[in-house]
Amino acid sequence: MGETHRDQAAVHAEVLILGGGPGGYTAAFRAADLGKQVTLVERYPVLGGVCLNVGCIPSKALLHVAQLIHEAQAFERHGVSLGKPVLDLDKIRAWKQSITKSLTQGLAGLVKQRKIDRIEGVGRFTSANSIEVQTESGAQTVTFDQAIIAAGSQPVRIPVFPNDDPRLLDSTDALELETIPQKLLIVGGGIIGLEMATVYHALGSEISVVEMMEQIIPGCDKDLVTPLHRRIKKQYDNIWLQTRVQSIEPVEEGLKVFFEGKNAPESELFDQVLVAVGRRPNGTLIDADKAGIVVDETGFIPVDKQQRTNVPHIFAVGDIVGNPMLAHKATHEGKVAAEVVAGMKVGFDALTIPSVAYTDPEVSWMGLTENEAKQQGIDYERAVFPWAASGRSLSLGRNEGLTKILCDKETGRLLGAGMVGPNAGELIAEAVLALEMGADAEDIGLSIHPHPTLSETFAFAAEMISGTITDLYVRKKGQ
Amino acid sequence: MALTEIKVPDVGNVADIDVVEVLIQPGERIAVEQTVAVLETDKATMDLPSSAAGTVKEVHIKAGDKVAEGSLIATLESSGGTKPAAEPAAAAAEAEAAPVESEESAPAKASESAAEPTVREPEESLAAPVPQPAPGSSRKAHATPSVRLFARELGVDLSRIESGSGRKGRILKEDVKRYVKQVMSEGAVAAGSGIPPIPAVDFSRFGEVEEQPLNKIRRLTGKNLSRVWLNLPMVTYHDEADITELEAFRTSHNAELADNGVKLTGLVFITKALVAAMQQFPSFNSSLSADGERLIVKRYFHVGIAVDTPNGLVVPVLRDVNRKGIYQLSSELSEKSQLARKGRLMPADMQGGCMTISGLGGIGGTGFTPIVNAPEVAILGVTRARMQPVWDGEAFQPRLMLPLDLTYDHRVIDGAEGARFIEAIKNYLGDIRRLLL
Repeated sequence: MGETHRDQAAVHAEVLILGGGPGGYTAAFRAADLGKQVTLVERYPVLGGVCLNVGCIPSKALLHVAQLIHEAQAFERHGVSLGKPVLDLDKIRAWKQSITKSLTQGLAGLVKQRKIDRIEGVGRFTSANSIEVQTESGAQTVTFDQAIIAAGSQPVRIPVFPNDDPRLLDSTDALELETIPQKLLIVGGGIIGLEMATVYHALGSEISVVEMMEQIIPGCDKDLVTPLHRRIKKQYDNIWLQTRVQSIEPVEEGLKVFFEGKNAPESELFDQVLVAVGRRPNGTLIDADKAGIVVDETGFIPVDKQQRTNVPHIFAVGDIVGNPMLAHKATHEGKVAAEVVAGMKVGFDALTIPSVAYTDPEVSWMGLTENEAKQQGIDYERAVFPWAASGRSLSLGRNEGLTKILCDKETGRLLGAGMVGPNAGELIAEAVLALEMGADAEDIGLSIHPHPTLSETFAFAAEMISGTITDLYVRKKGQ
Repeated sequence: MALTEIKVPDVGNVADIDVVEVLIQPGERIAVEQTVAVLETDKATMDLPSSAAGTVKEVHIKAGDKVAEGSLIATLESSGGTKPAAEPAAAAAEAEAAPVESEESAPAKASESAAEPTVREPEESLAAPVPQPAPGSSRKAHATPSVRLFARELGVDLSRIESGSGRKGRILKEDVKRYVKQVMSEGAVAAGSGIPPIPAVDFSRFGEVEEQPLNKIRRLTGKNLSRVWLNLPMVTYHDEADITELEAFRTSHNAELADNGVKLTGLVFITKALVAAMQQFPSFNSSLSADGERLIVKRYFHVGIAVDTPNGLVVPVLRDVNRKGIYQLSSELSEKSQLARKGRLMPADMQGGCMTISGLGGIGGTGFTPIVNAPEVAILGVTRARMQPVWDGEAFQPRLMLPLDLTYDHRVIDGAEGARFIEAIKNYLGDIRRLLL
């Protein structure tokens, strides 16, 4: 036996986790805490996946830099002049790396404390109970009783683009902050594209955004996106909607981009182009077929509420099982999968997965969107509280924010909420809690919110539904 | 212009009353006694009459709501005139309701006035363990994540728990536990019977069919009857009472009366005779305790009268029959039958019976086997009286004979006692002067 194993002898795991991102490490930790012997396979030397290394965390570090620059500029007209910012890219990069490093080190410590075996390398299934990991020192076979796949996703590449040209970036490249291009085109007006636009704009790039759909951040209610759109329209060179990039031609001076669509020029030259048109699941990269796992044509692995694939002892979590590709969805799913693996009777039962765009202003939403409510014919009542009436918002020098809530017309129960404005991403958590607890507008309005805070706007919107608001004058229906 | 509130009256300690239909709208002028809504309990559907006249300002309920005593139905801008405290008893103008309940009075008048809704579609039965989808909407169960997790562990579908005991009906852990207990205890009864269900048949293979949903009364009656059928060892005993003299007295009395006064029905005498027999044999006026260890003997004498209505069988109860005279009982019976047919009986009108009389007299038949209205222990069935030749020892005499069918719970009543009970009733009906003794 083992004639092909020129390398290490096979090892066995009660639970094998494939992928060390938020979904994978959460599943690994939870399973270990429930008494399982866990082996975690991750291709990179650091854990944390896209989120920690080339996604959520580094982008937020850079967005904070952007916020500092924007706020400093904004307060010049209110009597605070800090002068033109001097940027030391190396230092900014180092600071960003240090955050990532401290977090990944923290994870490595948690792995050790839990006595989880870690194998570094790309893992692929060889059967329904074994996987082969290409490690630095050769192939390592791991047999397992149960497995949880958390192999994530990667940025979508568009084949016709000059993908080898270093001036064509994906989000990972953009976060490297190698240079600050003078003219940057962002292909894709979704959350990732607009966050990177925010960063590069603050660092001095002239930004153009091109989006195929008729609004930026498609999927979010338009009224929530409008304040962001208005603001960036002034800041950026162009926002082309309902426009697609036909081709990109590398020339010496830059990348010549050809457009097709409304109001867009035929072509324009950019120093760099960032492609942020979405992410693609890695389902096709793990030889799932050898384990008999069904993978759909997009690369997603279908699972049930217990995160179970069609193979009963193999589970999958995170980006690889479906949209939205968000770390907080992956971690929640990771826990469910680990608990099911440990024999607990649980399931993915969350009522909502909140979404946040860390743009400036931030946009966040959860639960039912108004678009969905209309499509599904749900009878809802809606209230929108303008932050122009929030003292806290005005004292931040901002007045464009909104807090919107949707409630069941009959019971007043919260169905959905959305916010736009500084810190909207933090504020949405309260709405999620309210939704999960089954709160109605009255409950929210009757909960005392500290003054002056932005969080008050959520209670005010609820009071608008209940008809008890005093911070605004709302004409009663029929008067 | 005063504002008047219409509320749900005392309907006899019933909590969840379904609103089946609301028949008024804001702006509409309504009169006293006009039906404002159709309510339904597990016992009956009832039309809720307005307690005042006026213009409807606001309606506070809608179909599918649950209400209880005191719930606000509507606000009226009243134009004066609230309902007088007590209605003058509808002077039994009702045609004599056939010696023993009725055929012709029943289905005919169902849907005459607008106040009489024809279709009464109950939204949903009580928190029944019967697998049924969640009420109405796609609305999610009102339970927090930890309770949802708990329910999942126990395999409870939260949509089956209609309303929790938490604030605003939030389902709490205790509600999930209670539901599980309830299902388990009911399941035990069902499982205990060990009877395989009747298999489903696709009748459309044999010809055209039409599906008609059962109304709530019918569904609940069916459930109740099955439960009794499975739980009670029942015996039915048949006999005949000679009511020749009684009938002669009754018809001559009614003839003298002409137009005014209370016409007497045979049913009232049967009720009176039944109660006299119950006084003599107290075990017939009893119920078995739930654990089957004790007999609960009642010191009051309330008799249920089964009434056939367009919406199904209902059983109004005549109270304290032992203390009331024939006239009073006659007018009460006539009033309650009328209310029953109009769907206006309140649950309180149907509670507290000690024994039930079920009559098919208006239709025909020579005997049947009624099912005991448990937890009562016996039921008296009555079919149509017939003139029959009765041997008096020397010759056949034409006698009016009334068939009686007594079904009793054999756990409580022995065969001999049953026979003696019927003998007593026969005695009273044979010579009603004995009722005075």
